[in-house]
Amino acid sequence: MATLDLQSITKSFGAAQVLTGIDLAIRDKEFVVFVGPSGCGKSTLLRIIAGLEAATSGNILIDGTDVSAAAPVDRGISMVFQSYALYPHLSVYENIAFPLRVARLPETEVKQKVGRAAGILQLTEKLSLKPGQLSGGQRQRVAIGRSIVRNPKVFLFDEPLSNLDAALRGEMRVELSALQRDLDATMVYVTHDQVEAMTMAHRIVVLNKGRIEQFGTPMELYHHPATKFVATFIGQPNMNLLPATVTGTGAEGVTVEFHGGARMTLPVETSSARKGDVVEVGVRPENLQIGQGIAMRLRVLERLGGTAIAYGQMADGLKLCAALPGDTTVHEGEEVGLTFAPADAHVFDTQGRVMRRQQAPALAA
Amino acid sequence: MTLVAESAAPERMQRRELSDRAFAWLLIAPALMFIAVIVVWPLLETIRLSFTDATLGGENWVGTQNYAALFADPKFWQIVGRTFYWMVLAVSLKLVVGLIGATLLNAAIPGKALFRVLVMPPWVIPIAIGCIGWKWMYNGYFGLISGLLQEFGLVQDRVALLATKTSAFYSAIVTDVWVGTPMVTLFFLAAMQGVSKDLYEAAWVDGASRWYRFRRITIPQIMPVIVSMALLSAIWTFNSFEIIWILTEGGPRGATTTLIIDTYKVAISAQRFGEGAARAVVIVVLLATFSLFYLWFLNRVNRHYGAK
Repeated sequence: MATLDLQSITKSFGAAQVLTGIDLAIRDKEFVVFVGPSGCGKSTLLRIIAGLEAATSGNILIDGTDVSAAAPVDRGISMVFQSYALYPHLSVYENIAFPLRVARLPETEVKQKVGRAAGILQLTEKLSLKPGQLSGGQRQRVAIGRSIVRNPKVFLFDEPLSNLDAALRGEMRVELSALQRDLDATMVYVTHDQVEAMTMAHRIVVLNKGRIEQFGTPMELYHHPATKFVATFIGQPNMNLLPATVTGTGAEGVTVEFHGGARMTLPVETSSARKGDVVEVGVRPENLQIGQGIAMRLRVLERLGGTAIAYGQMADGLKLCAALPGDTTVHEGEEVGLTFAPADAHVFDTQGRVMRRQQAPALAA
Repeated sequence: MTLVAESAAPERMQRRELSDRAFAWLLIAPALMFIAVIVVWPLLETIRLSFTDATLGGENWVGTQNYAALFADPKFWQIVGRTFYWMVLAVSLKLVVGLIGATLLNAAIPGKALFRVLVMPPWVIPIAIGCIGWKWMYNGYFGLISGLLQEFGLVQDRVALLATKTSAFYSAIVTDVWVGTPMVTLFFLAAMQGVSKDLYEAAWVDGASRWYRFRRITIPQIMPVIVSMALLSAIWTFNSFEIIWILTEGGPRGATTTLIIDTYKVAISAQRFGEGAARAVVIVVLLATFSLFYLWFLNRVNRHYGAK
């Protein structure tokens, strides 16, 4: 398998700049997920890696070889499309065999490779059927089969699960992670779904407006989001953001005053904080507990069993969300007091950059 | 409670189904009446006429005499053969030229919007005007084609293309193809544009060449449209009357007389309605058989190529 390096990739369509200065080093056998909202450039970046789209500038290296000018087939990549891109007039066997037929491989070799891929993907019984006779999940597996037979250096996936229903998506996530381990393959996977990113990726690239916001492991992104964008994009439900004013800085962190007048000292690096700065304090819903602190009028309580998601509003209209224990006794319409540990707070400056937390959980390698 | 509800339900459903069916008939009744008047009645009348010796002077029942005479006439079989040859040749050319045209119009070539507009005229201008234009071009004295051939020294003397049997037949084919190709082209183009871009990109990633993608993706994907257009085009070409009539009136010496021209000559020009009707019935039977076979074939193609 192979490494994949992107060096200063930019892409513009006319006057519209869709990718700016993308630098990435993806390791051998790594599962990397590009995630971001629609229009952030993640699919364009994947298409540039595939060779379906030419970068305006920058280089693409696969296994150290510059493939920026190479045709897709000569890059050693294979791609699975969102629409699956199966040939409706060909059988499952012929769909999987398509790249081998193009390469004019002898029939015995085709048979052996298709058989192996079908075995891995549990499609052996379906080889004579047409794509129209398969379920969504099976079609997806055929598309993956077609990319496996080429034995590529890098697998590319463009939102492959977005056409499946929620239950099947969950199943396919597990299957894809297992497949990645079994094949020991380098995989790049594009999605807008942060759950897919968190559950499958070794490392996640968060893209926003054509730039990389952060590149790191799922837990790095969760515990140490570099920007407000990453903080609110990763994690479900979204992180709460409370406006506050810096009243002082010291060795123990930054002291802030919330709108209601409450003060708190938060253990973050203070090098970029000045007294009087307006900052935003980010608290994840799962870090909020019932207690003396922020007063919230509870509007909706979603009981999920193990947890209960409480949605409410503060007196100044700011919306809040808290993940409470499943057996919480609060009621809709009631005034609820919420509190959080200072160590759990994230502080973002006016540019949306994080002030690094001093006491964050240790990160898994 | 439950028992009552269960026994009442089927009856209610049945009543609603009946009234739905009556309503459906009511909705299609105007169209049915229209079809009865303009299709069914003339068809039945033609069949009746074909068993008579009807002329302007009156009619007598003659049984199958018209058919017996027709089938015994070697000239009739010659016309049937010529009609099928005319149809197969013209339709094949329309399909091939249409496919090439659609492929070019579908390619990313500069000015393709202009070319798409330029395809339309043969289809848009009235057939009679187009045919008269062709008749001038085929003319031996002042025709463009004869003039050009002489200018470039390809022929010594002037050529009147509609004056000899063979050249008249193929000249009529050229005009028929000219009239019929634009629509075929546009249908093929529409079908090509309906093919998912992802299929081509997936094949490109797999290293398939342009020709390979055309052969293994475009053609199979638009095959149902190719077959449908072949059927429609075949029926229109089989029944094509005005092009031949304006160019040659079926001549010279019957060289361009197809079944439909022959029928017109007998029934209308010679006013032998009974004999003409017999010919018309033969055309209906031939085309119906041909269409049934074609629909069966189209169904198979659709199933094979995964169309819904």
